[in-house]
Amino acid sequence: MANHLTLAVAGSRKTQSIVEHCASVSRERRVLVLTYTQANQEELISRLKQYAGDHHHVEVMGWFTFLLRHFARPFLPFKFAGKRVLGFNFDGRPHRMSTGIGRFLDSNGAAYGCELGRLAHELVARSKGALLKRLECIYDEILIDEVQDLSAHDWEIIDVLLDSSVDIRMVGDIRQSVLATNPRSSKNAKYSYAGSVKWARERQAKGRLEIVESVTTSRCHPVVAKFSDSIFDPSWKFPETQSENRTVTDHDGVFLVSTKHVTEYVRHFQPQCLRHSVNSGKAFDLDYFNFKVSKGMTYERVLIVPTAPIAKFIASGAYLEANSASSFYVAVTRAEQSVGIVLDKAGSSSLPFWNPTAAKQEV
Amino acid sequence: MIRKIKVQGYRIHKNLSVEPNRKFNLIVGANESGKSTLMEAVALALTGRINGRSVSEELNPHWFNTAVVEEFIKKRVSGVPVSFPEILIELYFEDVPELQILCGAVNTHVPTTACPGVSMRISANPDYAAELEEWAKAPTSLLPVEYYRCEWRSFADKELTTRPKVLATAVINSHTVRTSSGIDYHMRQILGDQLEPAERAQISLEYRRVKASLSNTALNAVNTRMSSVHATLHNRPIALAMDQSARTSWEGVVTPHVDDVPFSMSGQGQQSAIKISLAMNRHAGRAKFVMVEEPENHLTHTSLVTLLSRIESLAGEQQQLFITTHSSFVLNRLGLDALLLMGHDVTAKLSTLDPETVNYFKKLPGYDTLRIVLANKIVLVEGPSDEIVFERIFHDRYGKRPMACGIDVLSMRGLSLARGLELCAALGKPITALRDNDGIDPDELRGPVDKWLKKGVRELFIGEVTHGETLEPQLIHHTGEVLLRDILGIADHADLLKWMTREKTEAALRISASEKKIVPPACMLEAVKFAHG
Repeated sequence: MANHLTLAVAGSRKTQSIVEHCASVSRERRVLVLTYTQANQEELISRLKQYAGDHHHVEVMGWFTFLLRHFARPFLPFKFAGKRVLGFNFDGRPHRMSTGIGRFLDSNGAAYGCELGRLAHELVARSKGALLKRLECIYDEILIDEVQDLSAHDWEIIDVLLDSSVDIRMVGDIRQSVLATNPRSSKNAKYSYAGSVKWARERQAKGRLEIVESVTTSRCHPVVAKFSDSIFDPSWKFPETQSENRTVTDHDGVFLVSTKHVTEYVRHFQPQCLRHSVNSGKAFDLDYFNFKVSKGMTYERVLIVPTAPIAKFIASGAYLEANSASSFYVAVTRAEQSVGIVLDKAGSSSLPFWNPTAAKQEV
Repeated sequence: MIRKIKVQGYRIHKNLSVEPNRKFNLIVGANESGKSTLMEAVALALTGRINGRSVSEELNPHWFNTAVVEEFIKKRVSGVPVSFPEILIELYFEDVPELQILCGAVNTHVPTTACPGVSMRISANPDYAAELEEWAKAPTSLLPVEYYRCEWRSFADKELTTRPKVLATAVINSHTVRTSSGIDYHMRQILGDQLEPAERAQISLEYRRVKASLSNTALNAVNTRMSSVHATLHNRPIALAMDQSARTSWEGVVTPHVDDVPFSMSGQGQQSAIKISLAMNRHAGRAKFVMVEEPENHLTHTSLVTLLSRIESLAGEQQQLFITTHSSFVLNRLGLDALLLMGHDVTAKLSTLDPETVNYFKKLPGYDTLRIVLANKIVLVEGPSDEIVFERIFHDRYGKRPMACGIDVLSMRGLSLARGLELCAALGKPITALRDNDGIDPDELRGPVDKWLKKGVRELFIGEVTHGETLEPQLIHHTGEVLLRDILGIADHADLLKWMTREKTEAALRISASEKKIVPPACMLEAVKFAHG
């Protein structure tokens, strides 16, 4: 079995596993490492330089660059004869009604990022095998980091790659899928966001993919890890997270923080404050990061200002919808030792409230 | 391997499409037919350079096809806003795994096809739209190339900056460019491809060490003395050291030597022989494409024989050769089936030739095959006497020599008529063939070669058996003994037929020089009329 998908939990050193794989394979193998975010590309490049700098056939590329360089640019004429891709338009969107080439390229001939997956996928079939054959001759292995970030047509492309002679290794944490390459696409909703777990299990059942579940986090304290598991409906069948974090401090675990204690909590523990987006957490004047931005980061302590659904989940145990659950999971799993959640009405929650008096007495 | 070459608007080639042979390509053609231009175009698209310099540096208005430019100017002057002339060179490669990085559908093939390939496009740069249009108000035949851009791309639509390693190319031409280091760009390229990475690293390392050691020995004493000279701005000591920058790398000073004579000092023939051997030698980095211009230049016959057999034995399956030549010897020796005949916007190939015939010509390398190949109309006769008599009869009838009408009269000199006819048929060339009947019924003789004959294009003329077996009795039969004795100046007591048969050429020359006309044999007269058309 040449295709692997590692479903890992937050803090299980996914990116490092890719770097180590590159360092371990034969120096003759031509390896392509793909990832979605620019920050992760830089991270991969710098780590590869350190650990696999003697491997000259490892190439790191963004997902869009991959689609442009190996799909759209070489094979566009199969869909639009005589046309060329002259650039890339990341932010732009085609007009809703646009058809033909206008759906995929703007007036300057630049490919729309949000439609690139669809275009690329169509070109696979239209090239009558030339596209895939080309890829197979250029690369022996394609590694994809943060695979949960891909969506819609991207998954169909992966589906094609799974049947190619190129070995595909994907690493991702489906619980973290808070980005999508085409937010507007309704097609393939079943594969996007947390739905991708179902996709992978279907392929495993057909023997096209081997799923390895990596459940050990080196980052999150056991209590934090256990809480992060509880965010998801058990029907998703995520395996339980194991923690290797044995560090003990005077404040470990998940705590509720009353509004009136927020200032004191921040002063005392200096946690990284996290909010869903610029529109949330306005009640407090804190140095926030948005959930999305915090992806890939590690902090000793975090303080989360919950959204209404998150507050409701904690107070009543009503499960979040997939998307919200993912973003909350990202926020919680940033922490090594402690997670604070700003909440006044605890409801049926069993989480303890932080008590400033007790803390003072300890000191 | 190049499967197809497309050249549009480049020099003499307005729109040329060539499908070269897998291994050998012998490009022949009349002068000014664009042989060298084709080679240049291929090298241009393969290497992105021309004579070692970048295309944009070398670009000049004379690269553009004059007919295309004239058409453009005519249209613009008459107010039709046609676009500026362009040059496009496309090379379509074989669809093999190692070339897949160059694979894509960004080419001009219709219908859309994906295959590995490269293109060189020289077109008006839209950044200079205003300047271009200003120029077009009063256009001249010299295009404003300073407003043009050169794009070298793979069919995957990726801009190429340096020659992809898989396209190792060796260019061997006779105009040796002598650079300061004595080796031209092409030679340096060939040498560079020759060395394995480890060898290259070793040489580089040693060369640095040698340079460094000079700094520590001979230069040391000088530096000690100079350290007391305070010439710099901040009174820092000056020291002499060997330049270790890339500009002075070993490549600039290491040159091949032949018998201890530097390469650049050896003869031109020797130089091209060395280049060819190096480029074709079996090693990892050897050239996939070898282009040789007129290997017969600067070589004696013996050296040419040696060189050609070396080319033949070195040529591998994975190597494609392009050779231009004016030499029938080169053509016959390397195989007529490799021929690419340059015509106006077309090339003819000889892939239909029987391998037996190819071998036949290889064994007859001295035969002037190129004359057959290059002639517009050919008359094939048996021997020199037939040739001379034919010319005279032609002149008597039309008042011009055959050559003046574009007709080349060629004597077979032992060449089998069938082979000659097959070659002409393969080339689609008109031919007038004449042969003796040697006492055999003409229809019987025509039988075996009939497949290469075509009414009105390729016809065979044979005299009646009753009129004599060869030219001489035929001449006696038609002209009559009396007149012929007079023309030849033969005494009555001599046997006319015996004398003519013994002195074939002399007889023909006397007929040719005579003021009196002979009565031509019927078949020869027919042949003359047919050849004239």
